[in-house]
Amino acid sequence: MIPQPRTADLLRGFENAAFDSNAVFRTLLDAMAHPGRIYDLPLDVPAPAGLNKSATAFLLAMADMDTTIWLSPDCASNAANAHLKFHCGSPITETPSTADFAVARLDGDLAFIKKLPIGNAEYPDQSATLILQVEDISNKADMILQGPGIKDSQSLSVPGLPAAFHAWRAENHHLFPCGVDVIFAADHKIAALPRTTRIEIR
Amino acid sequence: MEQTVNNPAQASSAYNFAYLDEQTKRMIRRALLKAVAIPGYQVPFAGREMPMPYGWGTGGVQVTAAVIGPDDTLKVIDQGADDTTNAVSIRQFFAKTANVATTEKTAKASIIQTRHRIPEKELREDQILVYQVPIPEPLRFLEPRETETRKMHALEEYGLMHVKLYEDISRHGHIATTYAYPVMVNDRYVMDPSPTPKFDNPKMDMMAALQLFGAGREKRIYALPPYTKVKSLDFEDHPFEVQSWKDECGMCGATDSYLDEVILDDKGNRMFVCSDTDYCSERQDAGHRGPQHHDQPLGTSHSNGKAAE
Ligand SMILES: [Zn+2]
Repeated sequence: MIPQPRTADLLRGFENAAFDSNAVFRTLLDAMAHPGRIYDLPLDVPAPAGLNKSATAFLLAMADMDTTIWLSPDCASNAANAHLKFHCGSPITETPSTADFAVARLDGDLAFIKKLPIGNAEYPDQSATLILQVEDISNKADMILQGPGIKDSQSLSVPGLPAAFHAWRAENHHLFPCGVDVIFAADHKIAALPRTTRIEIR
Repeated sequence: MEQTVNNPAQASSAYNFAYLDEQTKRMIRRALLKAVAIPGYQVPFAGREMPMPYGWGTGGVQVTAAVIGPDDTLKVIDQGADDTTNAVSIRQFFAKTANVATTEKTAKASIIQTRHRIPEKELREDQILVYQVPIPEPLRFLEPRETETRKMHALEEYGLMHVKLYEDISRHGHIATTYAYPVMVNDRYVMDPSPTPKFDNPKMDMMAALQLFGAGREKRIYALPPYTKVKSLDFEDHPFEVQSWKDECGMCGATDSYLDEVILDDKGNRMFVCSDTDYCSERQDAGHRGPQHHDQPLGTSHSNGKAAE
């Protein structure tokens, strides 16, 4: 159990819940609709230890008492747990297989990703979204993306993406319509990789 | 109990922006992101009662309410028109609850909510088209049970749908379905394009704008990301064809738009006019004239007009 923090220790959440949630959601909707396109985080928000600003903003906008969050060991600080419990009211789980939202660092152990829920053939929406905190995202042509949302092709580079990620992602893409959608979250930038996107590694 | 949201900002004046409470909007937004990730798949959502009857497009209204922000400009059309009771009241609803700008100009809108038509003007990447959908399940008339239609989608069992279209051909010599004509999305899901005429189906294919569909009564959300393959179901020997008219628009002379028939008098005189009122008025503003335009001498308009034969 995490000790209940005093309110004074907590960082603020959104300054204006309605407008800030909407702004972050619209950025996420644009990102999901345009896989690999890089979007600036539309606002500044304090991030607790373990989470960066984009991951924090994502959870403040999308998570609540109806969604379970899993934090990888390197993200799960007391401050992060307290922040999410207070501002989102979300249950926080120790088991990736029950997560609606999973948050991890790219440089951490990614063995958990195979345990994330992928939905089932009748309800492929009952799957997790993975928020992967990364150092940087750019449009360098390390990956060439194709699929719905992409007119011709889209280049994307996420420095440090390990081979294990690509192996998992190739498998994940094959499971369509089941699968996990990924949000690459740099501190001030996001890009999405929905399950439909095909990746060619350069 | 877990501590739930009691952030003081929640109680600010922005609370209930766009009518829905923040928790409901979040739930709809989560469904929308899933819908975009699985094109053509119907995501269930816990729809809310809206202060208007179901026939008025509560599904579309809930989607718009979850998406709309203070910087948006909203256009609402019913059939192709901005000035019907339904379109006007939805526009007023959001002007009041979200304080957003509204427009009748397709080009000026960032969000367009529609019941029947896709605007004739090509939509852009920075626009979102929200459809109000009465019946989201294309297989419903073949199979009333939701558990069964779910299974059919899961297994891609779309043979019955093709049989139904083929029955049209054996009965009428062509596919007679003209509205809610089923499409295959991204080679995977059969989807109901809602009550739009099949004339509009080709516009859905590889559209630059994001398309979101909300069904209020059945509580389903589905989506077409931009640049997604949308193919109307057909057969090699009976390819898909859109409606065409022998007439031009009586007002603007357009020959490429969806035309509505208007009865002019009790002598059987009629004219055809663009269903998309913004498209028609933009063409008229640009100087295009159809045979029944009032700039033409009134007495000659009928004898000149092909539409009034
Ligand atoms: Zn016209």
